[in-house]
Amino acid sequence: MKKFLTSALVRGLLWQAIGWLLGALFVTGIRFLMGLNPFDQFFFTEPAWVFGALVGAISFVAGTGAMTDWFKWAKGEETPEHREDPPGWEKYLNVSLDHKVIGIQYTVTALILMCVGGLFAMIFRTELAHSGLQFLTLQEYNTFMSLHGIVMIVGILVGVAGVMNYLVPMMIGADDMSFPRLNAFSFWVVPPAAVLLLSTLALGGFDTGWTGYPPLSVRAPVGMQMFFMGVAVAGWSSILGGLNLIATVLRMRTKGMTAFRMPIFIWAAIATSIITLTATQLIGLAFQLVMFQRLLGMGFFDPAKGGNPILFQHLFWFYSHPAVYVFVLPGLGLISELMPVFVRKPLFGYRFVAMSSLGIALVGFLVWAHHMFTSGMNEYLRVPFMYSTLLVAVPTGVKFFSWIATLWKGKIEAPTPMLFVVGGIVVFLLGGLSGPPNATVATDLHLHDTYWIVGHFHDTMFGGYIFPFFAAIYYWFPKATGKRMNETLGKIHFWLMTPAFLTLTLLMMRVGLLGMRRRVADYDPALGFDNYHLIMTIAGYLIAIAIAIFLYNLYISLRHGETATGNVWNSRSPEWQVPSPMPVHNYDVPFEVVGEPYDYGLPGSAYVRFADGSQSTKH
Amino acid sequence: MEHTNKSEILRQGAIIFVFLAVLTGLEFFVAVAIGAVALLAVIALVKVALVMYYYMHIYKLNAQDEQLDRHSFEYKLNTRRLGLWLFLLSDSFVFGGLFVSRFNLLGLTRPDLNQVLGLAVTSVLLLSSFFMNRAESSMAHGDRRGFIIGIVATLILGIGFLAGVLGVEWPNAIKAGVTPSASAAGAIFFMMTGMHAFHVLTGVIFLSIVLRNGSRGIYSPEKHWGVEAAAIYWHFVDVVWIFFYPALYLIGKLI
Repeated sequence: MKKFLTSALVRGLLWQAIGWLLGALFVTGIRFLMGLNPFDQFFFTEPAWVFGALVGAISFVAGTGAMTDWFKWAKGEETPEHREDPPGWEKYLNVSLDHKVIGIQYTVTALILMCVGGLFAMIFRTELAHSGLQFLTLQEYNTFMSLHGIVMIVGILVGVAGVMNYLVPMMIGADDMSFPRLNAFSFWVVPPAAVLLLSTLALGGFDTGWTGYPPLSVRAPVGMQMFFMGVAVAGWSSILGGLNLIATVLRMRTKGMTAFRMPIFIWAAIATSIITLTATQLIGLAFQLVMFQRLLGMGFFDPAKGGNPILFQHLFWFYSHPAVYVFVLPGLGLISELMPVFVRKPLFGYRFVAMSSLGIALVGFLVWAHHMFTSGMNEYLRVPFMYSTLLVAVPTGVKFFSWIATLWKGKIEAPTPMLFVVGGIVVFLLGGLSGPPNATVATDLHLHDTYWIVGHFHDTMFGGYIFPFFAAIYYWFPKATGKRMNETLGKIHFWLMTPAFLTLTLLMMRVGLLGMRRRVADYDPALGFDNYHLIMTIAGYLIAIAIAIFLYNLYISLRHGETATGNVWNSRSPEWQVPSPMPVHNYDVPFEVVGEPYDYGLPGSAYVRFADGSQSTKH
Repeated sequence: MEHTNKSEILRQGAIIFVFLAVLTGLEFFVAVAIGAVALLAVIALVKVALVMYYYMHIYKLNAQDEQLDRHSFEYKLNTRRLGLWLFLLSDSFVFGGLFVSRFNLLGLTRPDLNQVLGLAVTSVLLLSSFFMNRAESSMAHGDRRGFIIGIVATLILGIGFLAGVLGVEWPNAIKAGVTPSASAAGAIFFMMTGMHAFHVLTGVIFLSIVLRNGSRGIYSPEKHWGVEAAAIYWHFVDVVWIFFYPALYLIGKLI
């Protein structure tokens, strides 16, 4: 208990509260001296809340000690390159420089955020089970709906960072990331961001959805500002994480690992990092402009002052469309990574799959305005954006082709990770096929504001990241802990979640096509959607039960799981050639890449050779 | 480039500064006399190319160091350089977003600002880049006195730039009716200069730290990454202003 109370997490939270209070009091005091109204509806005024939130977030990170080494460098002091972690669980609550610890910190944070986001979804899904308003007010419904969106998005971003952080240095044979302190910093800005996002609940909520379009977001309660601030702080995690990852892959690969001999997941991680490094700045900028419009009356998006609300949408979607590729590219990379292991065949068309990841990332920069076909932007922009969007289907199709060709005539085994890989492909296919109708202007004008889009989006997110994320957890759990996850519970998890999820999203698409509008708290009983919504709500609860089984499986496997220190899945990847769990600096004996990564089934082929002479000859 | 001696490097820095100064004058003349936006864009790009190559040494990213030990200082130095440039790439998206927003909101018009003041602060920032380059080159050749003089000059000019923008230009603009809340033009002007001034301010803090550490003898000709990073960051802030100056002061008709 003492170890918990003195951990960096608790210290950080305490400092955040202190910083927040002091910042707010500072502004309140100045307002008092200037003769302005010092207090408001939510006790402090909006500028006080905003300034306090900023000071609080910085105080959190400083309070954890994640920046201490940098302060020492600024003072001209030297610091040791490595830092010892305490043994046991408390290293996960303290600042660690080890990429594996940070990866697990990220992953656990992601699971917590996703559970919170899922809980919000369950609340308003229950409300929707029947037409009419049962137990939520309209503002509460909007807040839960908006928070579900942003908490899930941040959760997935954090989950992506977790998997990439854990795997990339191991896969390329590095002992850590290029900038371990920056890596720790990138993680430690996430908890204060999560606090900021959840604080919206106490500050009047926000009713704009996660998109925060002005003019609605200019009028929303103070909670809106906490949402903007939370996203901006979480964005720094994403930006700096992407920077670190690109530098790591470019500079830390082991001998012989040329570009086309990297594990395929590395290509996906690079493609994702290019997007997070650059585009994330623009959602930060867009939100910052609205913050200033609210605080100082600056008229960026106010037509009465010569501003342009459409500009916000351009800036916002320039990040937020590529952001969905940030989610799915690592997921699709995981599918390509895991499939050859369970099919015992080479990955079909490695180079094309690698290039398709980069292709999706780069084309992804040119498609943002397809979210704005109904927004009133210049009409001549519609057709070019329609075609650039349809173009994304080409590299994505390459990936599907590769997966099918890899499966073809393979010796398919189906333990839990493989189930999630195949499930992910099926669900993502549904998401992918329901995409082009939205990309096509003529049909999108009708589909845009309906549940069709909700179904499409959830299929791409689940198929694109959640399924592969579960596959990755089941697959690398033995690597991280030295124990195996329970196979029976894993299969129950899969066979409960997948049909429930497909029911949910296919019904969403159906009611959408029949005219159910999205984002609304209530619907007309005369539309006849009550039964559909009831089934959707039941499916939602089944998914929640499946997730509960998964969490129980994590717990029980960690406590009593079957010991598994060897190459559990007969993988050729370097991290499986050494005993689990991984030593602190990864490889005691360095290795060299001597062959192709996915030559499963080719006798005598080797991918890596360790300096002590052992080879990975699994086939 | 590595083999040239100190006086040659300093002379090269001075020649580049003269080029930049002439181009800035030409820019001003083009805007006043012809008003050709495309020509202004070309001049800005040439200026940025000169700064990025001769002052920021972007070619150092192309170091062929595969044979070096991964844990050597030299190899890590190149990794740090890459990290800094990636950060600048990311940061340039903020400024790029503001730049594009300015054209979206104002098109080919501009707010009425004090032209003399605009040219003056631009010259001050350009001159500070010259001294920054001089300070870095001095440190690379073990001349600590030259380094300190260069950094102090850069700091004074940097603070002068901040005083010019925040202390003179902003009150002037507000007096002239260009306020943050009056119009979108005022809003974007204050946002662009404010975001840039924030970066100048962080640069000033960074330079003060480097000055303190440098005067205590922490850096050596071989190991002075702190100085190099501060220099690259400072020049980057200058590069941003090379785009912002014409965008705010020179392009388009008066509103």
